[in-house]
Amino acid sequence: MTTTTQGATQPAPIVRIEGVSKRFRRGGEDLTVLDGLDLTIPEGEFVALMGPSGSGKSTLLNLIAGLDRPTSGRVVVANNDLGAMSDGQLAAFRARHLGFIFQTYNLMPVLTAAENVELPLLLTKLPSAERQRRALIALRVVGLEDRVHHTPRQLSGGQEQRVAIARAIVNDPTILVADEPTGDLDRKSADAILDLLVKLNTDMKKTIVMVTHDPAAAERATVTRRMNKGLLQ
Amino acid sequence: MNLASIAVRNVWRNRFRALMTVLGVAVAVMAFVMLRTVVTATNVAVTYAAQDRVGTRHKVSFILQLPRRYIDTVRGVSGVRTATFANWFGAKLPARPDEFFASMAVDTDTFFDVYNEMSVAPADLARWREDRRGVIVGDVLARKMNWHTGDRVVLRGTIYPGDWEFTVDGVYRATRRSVDRSQFIFHYRYLNEALPAGRRDQIGWIIARIDEPTRAASISRAIDAAFDVQDVQTTSMSERAMNLSFMGMLSGMFTAINVISLVILGILALLLGNTLAMGVRERTQEYGVLRALGFLPKHVVAFILSEAAALGAFAGAAGLALSYPVVQQGLGRWIEENQGATFPYFRIEPETAAAAFALAVTLALAAAALPAWRASRLTVTDALRRLD
Repeated sequence: MTTTTQGATQPAPIVRIEGVSKRFRRGGEDLTVLDGLDLTIPEGEFVALMGPSGSGKSTLLNLIAGLDRPTSGRVVVANNDLGAMSDGQLAAFRARHLGFIFQTYNLMPVLTAAENVELPLLLTKLPSAERQRRALIALRVVGLEDRVHHTPRQLSGGQEQRVAIARAIVNDPTILVADEPTGDLDRKSADAILDLLVKLNTDMKKTIVMVTHDPAAAERATVTRRMNKGLLQ
Repeated sequence: MNLASIAVRNVWRNRFRALMTVLGVAVAVMAFVMLRTVVTATNVAVTYAAQDRVGTRHKVSFILQLPRRYIDTVRGVSGVRTATFANWFGAKLPARPDEFFASMAVDTDTFFDVYNEMSVAPADLARWREDRRGVIVGDVLARKMNWHTGDRVVLRGTIYPGDWEFTVDGVYRATRRSVDRSQFIFHYRYLNEALPAGRRDQIGWIIARIDEPTRAASISRAIDAAFDVQDVQTTSMSERAMNLSFMGMLSGMFTAINVISLVILGILALLLGNTLAMGVRERTQEYGVLRALGFLPKHVVAFILSEAAALGAFAGAAGLALSYPVVQQGLGRWIEENQGATFPYFRIEPETAAAAFALAVTLALAAAALPAWRASRLTVTDALRRLD
């Protein structure tokens, strides 16, 4: 926690983005996607990033998640300066601190729900029995304890996304990053997923950064930040 | 659960494609096994040649004959323990002219002593030696022709014209792989006495059993030296060397087999490479997910190579499962029965099976190397974006 000049306490920032720019070269032209962006996300916050397509919100999410590097500026997450890390260190950082929730769930179709959730734990030294136990706990948290042996093909879209959320939380990450987590779901399933994310934020104090086009989804976040042309508004 | 076990499951994600690939590679593996078995079966004569036998033939060509009296000279050469002779008869069954088997007139007293890997029951051997028209046949030939002891057999001569009548006195069995089990062995005396005076007392070749295998070369030289001043000179060499010189005549065939084997291996690699490359391309997004979760490029490489090894192993095992009934039980039996002189033992050697399986796995790994390397080089964001 940090103390403001007025004496009130604020949560310490878990994400610090300082003057970050990101440029891509596409079709022989330089494309500036993020342009000197600053952002601070306090620990335990549920942030929704909104904006039109091409505004840079997914790029920002990738930088926070350590999937990409900025062209200039600093990205500090959980006290780790991601720009100073090697690829191997970034991978270890992701395994330790990040939980990913994708729009299209991205589950392995040959694995059962429990095995999909267990997947990130293969990078740990945990014995098989302990990995399975933790996977079951995570599935219980998302309410799918009765679907542990089902493959993704045997699950609905909403259930698949809940398995993906269980996979994201199984290693008890510092931050959950969600890229359009309700984009492929009907309203009812989307609401259930958002309920779950809110619960993870409030009950388990998980910091969540969510990219969304859906105003209803953004309303469930504690903070909504809008982006346009590579800048926060 | 580990990455390797997931990779094995991945092999069967597209079942039809995997099945077609496994079948295609299995057929290629079977063709490879068949060709290598031709080579190993041809080599059997060299591999299992007796160490202590020296063969003597006409110096010009083995189709020319030697005077029968040479056998006495050979028996007198120092180091020769015993010697026998034989003469190619070359006859057919009138009712089944397409059947080929080796028919030879031999010295009944010594032949089975020198060729002791051909086992004959003592009673049959004794009966045969007393029966001027008697014949001992190989067990494979006897089974094929349904011949039994006491049966009368008539052969029509091709080199020695006329119908020749024989009585089956017994069957020999092989105690070594190099033995042709379809030979027809009868009395030289029967042949010789029936020939006109001008063609008598000529023999095809002499085989000597020697005391010391390491002296085969010097004994061969001593035998040839004994006939240097005669009208007919000889060439002698160990049985192994004789078989090797015969193999030398087949070098062109071996070269062709090696080239075809390489072509088959190329087909095999292309089949595997195509399937693996498609699989890797389709799963690029999954590799991106793995990388996002914290897996390293080396894990992606291991994941893809594990799948390739599993596919190669499935295909190799299927190829061997196909090879044993087709090559060994089917083709091999037929060849042993009908081409026993060239291929007395046409079976898949364990080394051939192991090599075929190892090649299927190795080529799958080699075929997957480039797609695996490419997948590992993709950035996480590019891999996650890849939807095609």
